[in-house]
Amino acid sequence: MQKSRSANMAFTLYALIQTAILFTNAIAVLHEERFLSKIGWGADQGIGGFGDEPGIKAQLLNLIRSVRTVMRVPLIIVNSVCIVLLLLFG
Amino acid sequence: MDYSNQSGFRQRKLQPKVRMRGSAVDSGEPSQLFDDTSAGHNAGHSGVDKGPMVYAGQSLLSDPVSNLAMAYGSSLASQGKEMMDKNLDRFIPISKLKYYFAVDTVYVGKKLGLLVFPYMHENWEVSYQQDTPVAPRFDVNAPDLYIPAMAFITYILVAGLALGTQNRFSPEILGMQASSALVWLIIEVLAVLLSLYLVTVNTDLTTIDLVAFSGYKYVGMIVGVLAGLLFGKMGYYLTLLWCCASIFVFMIRTLRLKILSEAAAEGVLVRGAKNQLRMYLTMAIAAAQPVFMYWLTFHLVR
Repeated sequence: MQKSRSANMAFTLYALIQTAILFTNAIAVLHEERFLSKIGWGADQGIGGFGDEPGIKAQLLNLIRSVRTVMRVPLIIVNSVCIVLLLLFG
Repeated sequence: MDYSNQSGFRQRKLQPKVRMRGSAVDSGEPSQLFDDTSAGHNAGHSGVDKGPMVYAGQSLLSDPVSNLAMAYGSSLASQGKEMMDKNLDRFIPISKLKYYFAVDTVYVGKKLGLLVFPYMHENWEVSYQQDTPVAPRFDVNAPDLYIPAMAFITYILVAGLALGTQNRFSPEILGMQASSALVWLIIEVLAVLLSLYLVTVNTDLTTIDLVAFSGYKYVGMIVGVLAGLLFGKMGYYLTLLWCCASIFVFMIRTLRLKILSEAAAEGVLVRGAKNQLRMYLTMAIAAAQPVFMYWLTFHLVR
């Protein structure tokens, strides 16, 4: 019971920020040619048909591609800041 | 690439811009939301302020250079205030937030009753007024932020009370409970946003609406924890079961009208993969509420 209580209560906003940065980094490192195309999740393989129902897979691929495009530069900045802060303050 | 962007999520974002909640239309009629008395107070204050300055600084005012400097300084200050207001409004839509706090006592009472006993209520539709949703003061089905905000704060206080009766209290725990509950709220809202995007639902549910709906479960949590304090574990479980069931029904009946298509919302069984997926999504969102309610309160009642 002690462990479950501390696990529940230790969920701080800092942990949320860490989780968000790690998730975004994980999406950003998925390589287009070497990985996504191999498993059928490439940029050109998502758009099955035009019309108003893209489907879940197409939306997911669209999301991954847009996250990778949009967050590339901000992630560089955020990661550098994190590295510097962790080096200075542990 | 752009075609898939136009539908679904992007349309969902475009539509609420047409139905702006209470910014352009309502600023022309302040009685719709609030009576804005700030202008009257400002005029009164500036009149009082200028009085002593005129008496004490006669020589200051007569000097044309300092007159010019004072005028320039005051215009600069007002410009800066305007710019700050405009920038702040870009990040936190303050005008839209005002809509969610336009409540009164009757609305709060009826809504709290709905949250614990939604079984007798028949008409769950939000009424519109010229394409903008009516303020919560006039429609009991409209979402608001007052009850979730108050319920969140009350939950923190009740958690502190519960921990205090078990001699587990310390002031840091209040902060930990608050940040933990806030983090779970943020995670839940992000998960619902992500699933709404993936299922390409054309709805006018804004992010603030989702925050409001996720905040309604705190009412049930408070009732459960209080019952647990008064009547022990059995009282806690019974009350929590009742509140979980009512929040489940409340969420399903409210979200059904917003997420499902018109025909399916009226009870006609519309077959088809799209509607089935949306129904599953509604039930998943509603089922997540009791899970969170239990997860955030079970460690408070021993």
